[in-house]
Amino acid sequence: MNFSDLIQRIPGIIKSPETVPVEGKKLIVDCVAWLGSAVGITLPEWVLTLVSILIVIVTIIAVFMVMFALMSVFERKIIARIQNRYGPNRVGPCGLFQPVADGIKMLTKEDIVPRGADKIVHFLAPIAMVAPALVLPVILPYGRGMVPIELATGILFFFAMGAGTELAVFMAGWSSNNKYSVMGAMRAIAQMISYELPLVMSAVVVALVAGTLSPNGIVEAQAGYNLGFIPKWFVLTPWGFVACLLFYLGALAESNRSPFDLPEGESELVAGHLTEYSGFKYAIFFMAEYVGMFAINGLLVTLFLGGYQSPLPFLEWIPSWCWFFAKLACVAFSMVWVRATLPRFRIDQMMQFAWKFMLPMSFAALIAAATWHYAGRGPAAWGLSALIVGIPYLVLGRLCFTRHHTADNRTYLFSE
Amino acid sequence: MNLPGSGIIKGMVVTARNMIGSYFDRAHAKRLITEQYPEERPQLVETSRSFPFLVFDGDPEAGIRCVACKICEKECPPQCIYIVQDRDANGKLVRRPKVFDIDISVCMGCQICVEVCPFESIRMDNIYEVSSYSRFGQLLLHKEQLLKSNAYYNEIHPTEAAATDARIEAARVKKAAAAKAAAEKAAAAKAAAAAKAAQEPPQPEQNA
Amino acid sequence: MHDLLQRFLSLPWDQAPQWLFLIPALLMLLASAAAVMLRNLIHCALCLTLSFIALGVLFIALGAEFVGFVQLLVYVGAVTMLILFAILLTPASEVAASNNPFRSFNLSKAVNAVTGGAVALLVLCGLLAAIFFSPHARAAVNPAQAAVAPAKAIGENLLSHTLLPLQGTAILLTAALIGAALLAKEERPS
Repeated sequence: MNFSDLIQRIPGIIKSPETVPVEGKKLIVDCVAWLGSAVGITLPEWVLTLVSILIVIVTIIAVFMVMFALMSVFERKIIARIQNRYGPNRVGPCGLFQPVADGIKMLTKEDIVPRGADKIVHFLAPIAMVAPALVLPVILPYGRGMVPIELATGILFFFAMGAGTELAVFMAGWSSNNKYSVMGAMRAIAQMISYELPLVMSAVVVALVAGTLSPNGIVEAQAGYNLGFIPKWFVLTPWGFVACLLFYLGALAESNRSPFDLPEGESELVAGHLTEYSGFKYAIFFMAEYVGMFAINGLLVTLFLGGYQSPLPFLEWIPSWCWFFAKLACVAFSMVWVRATLPRFRIDQMMQFAWKFMLPMSFAALIAAATWHYAGRGPAAWGLSALIVGIPYLVLGRLCFTRHHTADNRTYLFSE
Repeated sequence: MNLPGSGIIKGMVVTARNMIGSYFDRAHAKRLITEQYPEERPQLVETSRSFPFLVFDGDPEAGIRCVACKICEKECPPQCIYIVQDRDANGKLVRRPKVFDIDISVCMGCQICVEVCPFESIRMDNIYEVSSYSRFGQLLLHKEQLLKSNAYYNEIHPTEAAATDARIEAARVKKAAAAKAAAEKAAAAKAAAAAKAAQEPPQPEQNA
Repeated sequence: MHDLLQRFLSLPWDQAPQWLFLIPALLMLLASAAAVMLRNLIHCALCLTLSFIALGVLFIALGAEFVGFVQLLVYVGAVTMLILFAILLTPASEVAASNNPFRSFNLSKAVNAVTGGAVALLVLCGLLAAIFFSPHARAAVNPAQAAVAPAKAIGENLLSHTLLPLQGTAILLTAALIGAALLAKEERPS
């Protein structure tokens, strides 16, 4: 190949926005090969493979860092607007450079390690937290043919990496030599493990219906339209709606976000397992939490909201990766909305909710999904699965969440 | 029938309404009441006060009301006022301050100096942007910085200023009336004396 | 024995699969040794976790991705937490470790150590012998023919051929859960 061939490929890429990322990556790899040949060396195959992989890694990290930065400022602004005040609006236009200011602040803070802390574990905990979190987004299909790593057991990989996060939380809490940190870490781990079950069960429900654990396969199983204009996304089925809701709540709990942010709320045990972290280590924890949140939102979009598919037939000219990020933005916005609206759970309320409500509902969703699939996916199947999901919802709702107004005869000790 | 979870949905509708309303309908329900300082200054109430200032009528040199009686210096609890009386060309004391310093890093805004001043010359200002980089340079205010006109006083505390002006006016009128009465009395006495002197025929040489 | 050594040395060491095995294997051995020899119990548990992760990587390197990821999910996520909670909630971890390397020589302790070491060595030799003399070690392994177990095949196998062990395991786990709940329940003063 020569230079003019490469240049001639550029207009073709820009003309069809759908394939910009994939063709762009190929073009960059070919440019690197051409550069090597122009200098005189033929680059071996593994170098080109390495370049290709590096492009993907750099893109994922860059995209998620930018999303993290924007998310931090938009979250603050949206919560502020809900609370009748302006958010940060001083630093850039509409406060958009606030993450830069926050980054500079975090980087220039003194890194304090408590004297009695276990130095190695204290140092490794942020690393153990951020490494799995950065690996999570690698199996999500961002567009047609745009999966960074195509894994046949992608969903399982996702949850396996999520398990590393719990370990990091424990390491952070225990190594700080602070009994409140340990308590906070215990509560955080109890919360994460309890909510992992309904989370995984919801994903299993989807894997059951789609017949595959591969994220690409699951997105493809949601292709097409019912009645011509209603997309066949799993969230629009009765069992899928319930499973999506359970997955959403589990995602909130796994990322330690409000209303499940007991481990790291400011008024709870100082900052829980993050009490003794300052400066860049705290920034790393913060970043790991947000990247994990984006990854699990991406998985929610993949499993339930149809991934990169457009909701209406006449909107299919918008590139698939745009749809993925639009849906991701919507889910992230809803998480911010929930955070601004709901008060925090108490630890026992949280546990009861997970074990007594969400786990039975996830089993009900599983049975409903199987019914829907084996009853032929027709109207009868829809009705039956709605019934199988609706009745436990009402029953469990009544059982778990009504306050019992018992008329006790209270004895007041110190009243005359 | 109350579905479990309906309360959460209602709550989220309320917050969404608040958020969207904050972009379109700012006046309603007290949305976005943040004052964007320093672009918008706070609306101070009329009785807000911070540090004292000296009032002059008309000319800062000649119209200064303070006569350096030093009552406020004596009465100030943290003793933040320092007054030196002026002397004229011959060295005689005149009723004017040469030095009038107030240390606003010490002043606690108690307004006692205002209450005890018999000449309505020291009043409370409502300035709040007096930060400086050095404590002893700019936080010690001198006479020139403290002198502000009566028109300014009327601007910041209209009711008080009106009352003060009325008091001064009344005192001036009373004094003028008293002076007029005294002048009339003196004139009458003089006229009476002159009349008396004119009434008695001249008998100057009877006593030789 | 000799031909096994020959085969070991003649493996293509310049290619990836050998190192893909060797690095996690070494990591696992080091982590397990550290888990046994470290003073601080929590450090031991964390080194054990590292060995679990290395085992998971080995499973993935062998092509059994399902088992590898399940190993990470279950062992690193759940079993490690279990071990750490057990360490934290029992008083044994409060014992301060003595750092004096020049402890007094105690005959009975030395005899115990030697006996324990001999038993461990014997068990290790027995396991190694079992591996070396098994038919699988003798068979020629062709990577292209190695059975790769996709998740679908595992699932179908679980629910058809090994259904009875699956249900037995489920009953066992349920019994354990009920037992744990019963043990942890508070006594009602009545």
